[in-house]
Amino acid sequence: MGLVGIATGKVLSSFSVFLFLTILLLAVARRISTSVLLFSLQSAVITAEVLATAIQEKLAEAWVVGLLVFAIKVVAIPRAFFVLARRLKTVRDVKASTTPTQSVFIVAVMIYLSYAGVHSYGQAVHVPDDALAAAVALILTGAFLMVSRTKAIMQMLGLLVLENGIFLAALITTFGMPLVIEIGIFFDILMGLLLMGIFSFRISDTFDHLDVSKLRRLRG
Amino acid sequence: MILLLALILPVVGAGLLLLFSNPRAATRAALALGSVEIAVISALIRQVHLSGAVEVGRYLRADGLSAFFLVGMAFVFALVLLYSSGYLRHPGEGRFSSPRWFYALCFLFLFTMISVCVSANLGLLWIMMEGTTLASALLVGFYNTEGAVEAGWKYLIVCTVGIAFALFGTIVLYLAGVKAGMSPAAALDWLALNTAAPHLGLDIHLVKLAFVFILVGYGTKIGFVPMHSWLPDAHAEAPTPISALLSAVLLNCAVYAVIRFDAIVSGAVGPGFPHSLLLLFGVMSLVVAGLLILVQRNLKRLMAYSSIEHMGIIAIGLGLGGPLGLFGALLHTFNHSVAKSLLFFGAGNVRHNLSTLRMEAIRGISRSLPQTSAALVVGGLAIVGLPPFSLFISEFAILSQAFGDGRYFVAILFLVILSVVFGGFAHHLLGMLCGEPDRRSEASRLIPSEYTAMGIAAVCLVWFGARIPATFGDLLRDAMAVLR
Repeated sequence: MGLVGIATGKVLSSFSVFLFLTILLLAVARRISTSVLLFSLQSAVITAEVLATAIQEKLAEAWVVGLLVFAIKVVAIPRAFFVLARRLKTVRDVKASTTPTQSVFIVAVMIYLSYAGVHSYGQAVHVPDDALAAAVALILTGAFLMVSRTKAIMQMLGLLVLENGIFLAALITTFGMPLVIEIGIFFDILMGLLLMGIFSFRISDTFDHLDVSKLRRLRG
Repeated sequence: MILLLALILPVVGAGLLLLFSNPRAATRAALALGSVEIAVISALIRQVHLSGAVEVGRYLRADGLSAFFLVGMAFVFALVLLYSSGYLRHPGEGRFSSPRWFYALCFLFLFTMISVCVSANLGLLWIMMEGTTLASALLVGFYNTEGAVEAGWKYLIVCTVGIAFALFGTIVLYLAGVKAGMSPAAALDWLALNTAAPHLGLDIHLVKLAFVFILVGYGTKIGFVPMHSWLPDAHAEAPTPISALLSAVLLNCAVYAVIRFDAIVSGAVGPGFPHSLLLLFGVMSLVVAGLLILVQRNLKRLMAYSSIEHMGIIAIGLGLGGPLGLFGALLHTFNHSVAKSLLFFGAGNVRHNLSTLRMEAIRGISRSLPQTSAALVVGGLAIVGLPPFSLFISEFAILSQAFGDGRYFVAILFLVILSVVFGGFAHHLLGMLCGEPDRRSEASRLIPSEYTAMGIAAVCLVWFGARIPATFGDLLRDAMAVLR
């Protein structure tokens, strides 16, 4: 067993709590930089979960996936976000359409709903309710961030949180998909972010702001 | 081998096209590359038809259904390439707005769409479906105007989120497969899943959950109401050849993905559940889009809503199932592609000559732009499903299936909406055709590549309406045999 074994067990039993913490904090975060750091932290928790699974289930592929998650989501994407935010000279505020109190309340309700929703499936797939609920809560919160934050950068961040949730769901229920497919999905995410980056430059060039809620020309 | 060639050629070609800085040379190179690629795809289709499914490794496979969708793709792509060669006379401003970028992105887009149709692995299919969004997003925003940037952003965000749900659905189906005792590699392979489908029924809730997410996810790409918000914007703001590609090929690729999943899920939990969901989305799209057609003001948005309506018709055909429903739905994917390309080409000419797409500002084009008007009239008559044209046959097949199954509500609603759409199109088109032309259009001359593309599409609509060519009929039968 040893120290590694104990650490693995602790990670697997506690990661859901940390994930809930990150999404509740994301709900109150007022600055873009804070949100990006929180996302990085959230990805770090997921990396720990991937590595713990790799050790416990003795999966060699999961080590590669864990390293990819770390390199891309903990290091590369947050850095790219900081560069993007600086180059776009955007204001620091996330421009939320809900107050922090409302946001926390909504996210708390979503966590509750996630527990209620996964209850019947948890037993069927032999996964603890907490883990499954954390995955669903990440998906819901990601979607909530996308609709309630009007900055283009925050929409990209919401999408990433949503994707983290889907990734987590795949990990805890099936120990991840085959490696080739995982790598393909990572590649798609990176390309997607690159394109969204290009478009956010274009939005700020063409409209002199980054507020996507003001993009209202096309209707009907 | 030929399958790999069909995939490698557009990617390598896209890279090479970027080397041509001269617009003329880029156009010629793109046409040459396009003809080779289409020859390769035709050879692939022929091989599938003659000797059954073609496989390369564990991840690529083309069978009758793939081949059928490749036929439409190759045909429309050829028309689009031909049309673009003339259309790009006036490229937009901006970093990526040069013909070489246009063609390079077009070929990348084609690559992702072919890959969708030949993926043997549902994970790869997802990756490539997301790839189609990424490859086409810059094309939608090609003109770099306010509208184009907005439409491109919306397209990217809405489709990426939608597709994320499809990924979740794919994972749930994978989970059901692994739980039913399949190996991780096989649980994403649609052939293996099809074979093992009856055993997946143990986890009936998981399979149903998977299908709901898949349908919402890929349904976003198809443009089902209420996930359609990206579609009219993207179609209206993209350069016209790209509108045609989006409407005529991309939507069909998403339909292809749904058909694959529908086959697996029907095998696992019976056709009742997936088919009623398809019917629901189909009817919603048909009704909402059919009514919105009446109030459109922009010519290309009118075409876009008509695409949603036709995707609804295809979903109804798939949802009814049965030999006629399936036949109608598959045939309709092809017929709709041809008619919609013709209409978009016509709309593109109107935009070039009158520099507007607002329908109330377009008057008397039957005099100022006779050939374009002819194209719009033929396309318009075809798209509303009038008899001499091919769309009548596919719509009639679906309708017969509905009446045959005793689904009178669906059948009557279908007829009512088609009449409404007929009225809408007649009103909009007659308004544009008649009256005095507002100003003398300077460049009303069509160049040969443009009227050839429109002519081929129009001839095809009449020809397929009179009689479905034997070879095409065989391919259609191959596709239906796969789904039996």
